[in-house]
Amino acid sequence: MEQQSHEPVFPANRGYLKRKKFYNNVAVFFAITAFIIGSFPVFHIIYKAVSIGYKYLNWHFISTLPTGFPIGAEGGILNAVIGDLYLIVIASILAVPIGIGTGLYLSLFGKKRVNGFLRLLNELMIGIPSIVWGIVGFYVFSTNAGPGFHFGFSALAGGLTLGFIMTPIITLLTEQAVNQIPASYIEGALALGATKWQATRAVILKAALGGIFTGILLGVMNIIGQTAPLLFTNYYNTGMPTGVTGPGGAVGDLAMLIFIYIHEPSKILHYKAEAASVVLLFFIFALDLGLRLINYLAKRFIL
Amino acid sequence: MPENIKKDNADNIIVDVKDLNFYYGKYHLLKSVNLYFKKNSVCTLLGPSGCGKSTFLRTLNRMNDYTEGAKLTGEVLINGKNIYDKSVDVVELRRDIGMVFQNPNPFPKSIFDNIAFGLKIHGIKNKDFIVERVEKCLKYSGLYDEVKDKLNKSALSLSGGQQQRLCIARAIATNPSILLMDEPTAYLDPVSTSIILDLINSFKKYYTIIVVSHNVQQSGRISDYSGFFLDGELIEFDEAGNFFTRPKDKRTENFITSRY
Repeated sequence: MEQQSHEPVFPANRGYLKRKKFYNNVAVFFAITAFIIGSFPVFHIIYKAVSIGYKYLNWHFISTLPTGFPIGAEGGILNAVIGDLYLIVIASILAVPIGIGTGLYLSLFGKKRVNGFLRLLNELMIGIPSIVWGIVGFYVFSTNAGPGFHFGFSALAGGLTLGFIMTPIITLLTEQAVNQIPASYIEGALALGATKWQATRAVILKAALGGIFTGILLGVMNIIGQTAPLLFTNYYNTGMPTGVTGPGGAVGDLAMLIFIYIHEPSKILHYKAEAASVVLLFFIFALDLGLRLINYLAKRFIL
Repeated sequence: MPENIKKDNADNIIVDVKDLNFYYGKYHLLKSVNLYFKKNSVCTLLGPSGCGKSTFLRTLNRMNDYTEGAKLTGEVLINGKNIYDKSVDVVELRRDIGMVFQNPNPFPKSIFDNIAFGLKIHGIKNKDFIVERVEKCLKYSGLYDEVKDKLNKSALSLSGGQQQRLCIARAIATNPSILLMDEPTAYLDPVSTSIILDLINSFKKYYTIIVVSHNVQQSGRISDYSGFFLDGELIEFDEAGNFFTRPKDKRTENFITSRY
């Protein structure tokens, strides 16, 4: 029997061995550089906003209504904080059931062809520019002439418009979350004689809860920074709303507040706009932390 | 569990499959399968991967209904009634046919809720009955002593073998007359496998058990009847004694002597 030799079957290409290490280093260098360039604006924004607006970053700023002349020169941004809560609640009431329902339909019940069409629509909805949503919202909810709901410039009109921006995000995340659940769960439930809805309610919804919450919070994070849709549906209110529709139904909003203050020829308002940006960033940061917490808890205790 | 034994079938045949063809799109997956299963027997279906034996098993409780592009011809008679008849309610059908899957797939719920699920979805609300039934099923599957102190813990905290026995307990909770098992020991260690094989042997008093497997040795240990599938065709079906010692077909012999 022939002895197996330990000679390599092909000669080592030493030049290439050196070169491939060099290519590796180049790739790492580019990745790190890209990360630094990409993350620089984030830190710069935070630095700028804090360094300009730090004077107003206190509880008084968040907990009082704007007063003085021009309005906002004294007082704080309570109107915008409360207004954001109004908008988030109204948008969620619309978007959460519709979004989750559509997502569940897509991943569990739909037929192939219908699903393809629905997914296309959903992606289109995500892609629609927010200013277009604003115009649609104006004609459907706000305008007082022609067909429409005639809510006026109000929290309801603004919130519903934002809700339509939020819906496709929740749909997408819900579908992904349910699709990630092992098929064996639903098969196990079906094999016991569960209907699809029983299987969904008992097994799937619980297992997908983390993903669905991620969708909701991502949707909230998205709409909290929107200005364009509110321009034609809600605009802005320097005081507290007296209702959710009609005159007095408009609410303040952090993003709109920043937009308006930065246009005013007043140094104080510019500072306050920067301070409001920090508050908005903090809102989003808190939501993000909440999202991570929910994901962690979902992994730990549910799955 | 004497309530399991049904006496209404004189000739003792509980499942009768007649000229079953199954298509997936254009692919002819099961080719004219004729087969019957006797009451309170263990029947194993052997064959290499992809031969259609799992698909066949899933036609028995209509789990292929949700597969898009699936088409089926022929008849599956259970207790003399074609389950593909329009009048048959799938939910009721599956109540009578338990199924255990290849991967242990307990729900992400507590051990108790896993078994209670099958009862709750069939509208049983009597708590005392559910508690009693859960306990009983855990005892039948030999799991009770191991988990009695942690019934409220997540089922996913159990070991793989325990999870699979929990799945068996879950499947018998609705008191089915037929138990389908799709390679129930494929992912388990030898000790757990042995426990489950013993369970299957002791269960045939109460249920008709149909097991899909590709392990010849394990099948030999539990079978009363055995069938061999190859490329969607039922090559041979016989009593286990004949099947494993005197196979009629050369291909069956090759498979059970591992010449594949």
